[in-house]
Amino acid sequence: MLARFPSLFRALTSRGTFETGMTEELRFHLERYAEDLVRSGMAPAEARRRASVEFGGLDAVHEECREARGLRIFDAVRRESRDAVRQLRRNPGFTATVVLTLALAIGANTAIFSMVNALLLKSLPYARPDRLGTIYSRVTRGAETTESRRTIDGEQWELMRDNVPSLISALSAIGVSGSNLQAGTDGRFLQTGRVSERYLDVLALQPFIGRNFSEAEDRPNAAKTAILSYALWKTVFGGNPAVLGRAISLKGEPHTIIGVLPERSTTPLNADLYTALQAGRSGEGRGANFLVIARLRDTATWQQADAEINQAWAASRRARSFAQTNPDARTSYHLVPLQRGATETLRPQVLALMMAAGFILLIACANLAALALVRMLRRRSELVTRLALGASRWQIQRQLWTENLTLALVGGASGIGVGFAALRALLLLLPERFLPVADVPLDGRVLGFTLGLSLLTSVLFGTLPAFATRDVDLRSAGRGVIGAGGVRLRQSLIAGEVALTVVLLAASGLLVRTLVHLQTLPGGFNPDGVITAKASLDDARFHDPAAFRKLLAGSLAAMQSIPGVRNAAVGSTVPYERPLIDGVRLSDGPKAGRELSTNAAYVTPGYFDTLQIPVLAGRAFTDADGPDAQPVAIVNRAFARKFFGTENPVGHYLNKTDLIVGVVADTVQSSAARLNAGSAPLTSEEMMYLPAAQIVDAQYLSLVHTWFQPSWIVRTAHPVDGVSGRMQRALESVEPQLPFSGFYSMNDHMAATLATQRIAVALLAAMASLALLLTAVGIFALVANIVAQRTREIGIRMALGSTIRKAMFHVGATGAAASAAGLVLGLALCAVSLRAMRSVLYGVGIYDAPTILAVMLTLSAVALLATAVPVLRVARIDPASTLREQ
Amino acid sequence: MGKTADLLPGTLDLLILKAVSLKPLHGYGVLLRIQQISGDAIEVPQGSLYPALYRLEHQGLIAPEWAQSDNNRRAKYYSLTVAGRRRLREETASWNRLASAIGAALRTTADEV
Repeated sequence: MLARFPSLFRALTSRGTFETGMTEELRFHLERYAEDLVRSGMAPAEARRRASVEFGGLDAVHEECREARGLRIFDAVRRESRDAVRQLRRNPGFTATVVLTLALAIGANTAIFSMVNALLLKSLPYARPDRLGTIYSRVTRGAETTESRRTIDGEQWELMRDNVPSLISALSAIGVSGSNLQAGTDGRFLQTGRVSERYLDVLALQPFIGRNFSEAEDRPNAAKTAILSYALWKTVFGGNPAVLGRAISLKGEPHTIIGVLPERSTTPLNADLYTALQAGRSGEGRGANFLVIARLRDTATWQQADAEINQAWAASRRARSFAQTNPDARTSYHLVPLQRGATETLRPQVLALMMAAGFILLIACANLAALALVRMLRRRSELVTRLALGASRWQIQRQLWTENLTLALVGGASGIGVGFAALRALLLLLPERFLPVADVPLDGRVLGFTLGLSLLTSVLFGTLPAFATRDVDLRSAGRGVIGAGGVRLRQSLIAGEVALTVVLLAASGLLVRTLVHLQTLPGGFNPDGVITAKASLDDARFHDPAAFRKLLAGSLAAMQSIPGVRNAAVGSTVPYERPLIDGVRLSDGPKAGRELSTNAAYVTPGYFDTLQIPVLAGRAFTDADGPDAQPVAIVNRAFARKFFGTENPVGHYLNKTDLIVGVVADTVQSSAARLNAGSAPLTSEEMMYLPAAQIVDAQYLSLVHTWFQPSWIVRTAHPVDGVSGRMQRALESVEPQLPFSGFYSMNDHMAATLATQRIAVALLAAMASLALLLTAVGIFALVANIVAQRTREIGIRMALGSTIRKAMFHVGATGAAASAAGLVLGLALCAVSLRAMRSVLYGVGIYDAPTILAVMLTLSAVALLATAVPVLRVARIDPASTLREQ
Repeated sequence: MGKTADLLPGTLDLLILKAVSLKPLHGYGVLLRIQQISGDAIEVPQGSLYPALYRLEHQGLIAPEWAQSDNNRRAKYYSLTVAGRRRLREETASWNRLASAIGAALRTTADEV
């Protein structure tokens, strides 16, 4: 059997040679035979004739030889597809509709699948990615179990590093931080990733030149070193190998360059430059501020590693304090593949979008099946003629399937184009560093998926018409009447489409309602006339608390004097942003002695005035709350309620020393820090404010500024021209080398926090609109087609005394009935399927009456329009002329 | 022309293999050789010769080669491959078994039943 492939392959690849060889061989035969006949005494002309007669039909022999070589099927395919293309060209309207529909549906699927592929399927770009892991915790409270990716503190890190021999472990900061690089005279703003020693070993990355961080360089307070990404090395340092050992200034501190990463290499942080994390138990290491990545050693198993981690951490401070405050909970740790750990949070969204895209494909296929069915029934007489001329049923089926396949492949090819464009647009829509992967390629797997999808669509929309040809036979010749079955079938298809569209519309409606709810949450402050500007204080110059105080006081005084500015203040964060999380102990009050985590911010005295956050009890901060005065704190109402109940917190102490002097109204914050599980993206959670002037711990200050760029907040009485320029000059008058990194209105902050929700709404709404459009086209086609087919029947009815109105109603009812059935079915589907959305809905229930009503109205309006447009053509039917046509 | 026998189905392949096993032959040569070795008793229908040759070539039993023919024209010569030689041996044996079995069957007389 195998021996035949080379021969077939040769015949296929050198088809020309095969054909000329065959012709030559047969001609040689005929000539030799004729010569022999002449030799036996026959006249040459007669001999040639005789040879050719005895040989038989030359063409038939040719064909048999080809068949003997296995070429026949290929010839047939070529012939069939040529016929198919000819057929499709003859019906440009049909072909264009099908290809356009497929391009949109397959394009949407290709774009979304590219995301699925990049996030969930593609292996991480490191050697042996299956042995890379990150740490998850499993907390069990009674029957309830929650799993999430863990960040760890300095003590846990030391325990893990020293007591888990199954793993090569490494740490990084939770994200990259923006910082200013000064190399010679060249200064620029770039993203720095802070990583521990062996971080690059875990990823199996060897520096292109130089070396990785050593153990000594990763110890706290060691001399600072840096490793460059290849791109940074090329652009800033001109790809000069002598860069090793050179000093650069980063965040105002000198760093020595010790290595350059290879070209096209990436890390989970994807930074421009890496510095040693230098994790210890103090400062940053007191909190769970580090992210683990680990590589399983060749001789170890995941179970071993899990056991070692649990054992190593059993006696840690964090484990003990958690057990103390949560006596009913059990905690264990386990490793999860890094791939899953990095994409977990996006998985449900991406899969939901994939499902929506699948709906679109089904809707498109239903439309196309209906269209193809109509076309099929119209071609009945053509098929009957072909049957009468001796074509076999198999040949007719083959022709139909070749046409379907050709359509699907052309549609699929256009779908790749549409998908590519849609993907680019989608990536532009996403905020920078939103996705945990460096790029979303249109790779072989995506193209394979698209090809598979095209084949699937050809089956989905080809089966029905192919089935309909079964009852075509010679007796039905000439009877071009379409049976009622065709209409019924198409009505069911439309009903199915409408049902899926209803689900998509309802889902996106609920997301829109959620977004509206979040965007209209009472902020707890007055955003009008407020502009904020951020600057990075992650610089050695500002680590000293005195220098920091001087900067704030000087710059605020300068801003106050800008004409039109009413108030100015600084806060480590502003409402809508993700606040700092701080640990605090309640010294007295009803829950005295309790240690807790809370949202926190440092602010200058004017903060509450500037943002117009009402002070509910006690007082706001004043300039008297300085470094040498009584340490004070202000809490918000949520904090007061949660920890002091009905008591007034003013007069109580936090951390033994900090006197609570006031209670302010709640403001809306981002919940990205996940202080409380299950919070909406914007919440009014507990919050503690500290006076910026009372921060006397330099380490704390530098830590806060590693993570946060504080905001200068200015309120103007009326719009002031060029206020941002004036703010910049005010800052420069105190600190010439400190640029603002950006200016934001409070709306910008809100938009940044709700980016995920906005993108989800935009994508799902786009899908739902596409579904609605396709469904409208489907309903329109159904009704328009019935009008076209029944023109004569309607003409006769009208001639017999029926009115135009009755005729219109008669025709329109088919579309309306199908839509109504679909609507009911869709609502039933919603009741079942929308429950899956519960975790992403805030401020709106799953069975939301306004949403359902809006969906019903939208769909009815669109269905009505799609039905009405073709039905109005009935009015133009002239009974006399339709009767005459026959 | 003497009395000729019709080809039994399946025997043409066997005869072609036998013909080219003696010496590489072009298509027309195969035809003549079969007539010659069967003592003109078998006449191969010319139209079915070439499909049979192509089929055998496709199965890897014979191998083609273009060469100069005796009167200096290009012709396609077929020779037996190793697989072809094995097939010829098997088919010959099986043919002989069948022929003797049928012969024995036809010789049977009434008293032997």
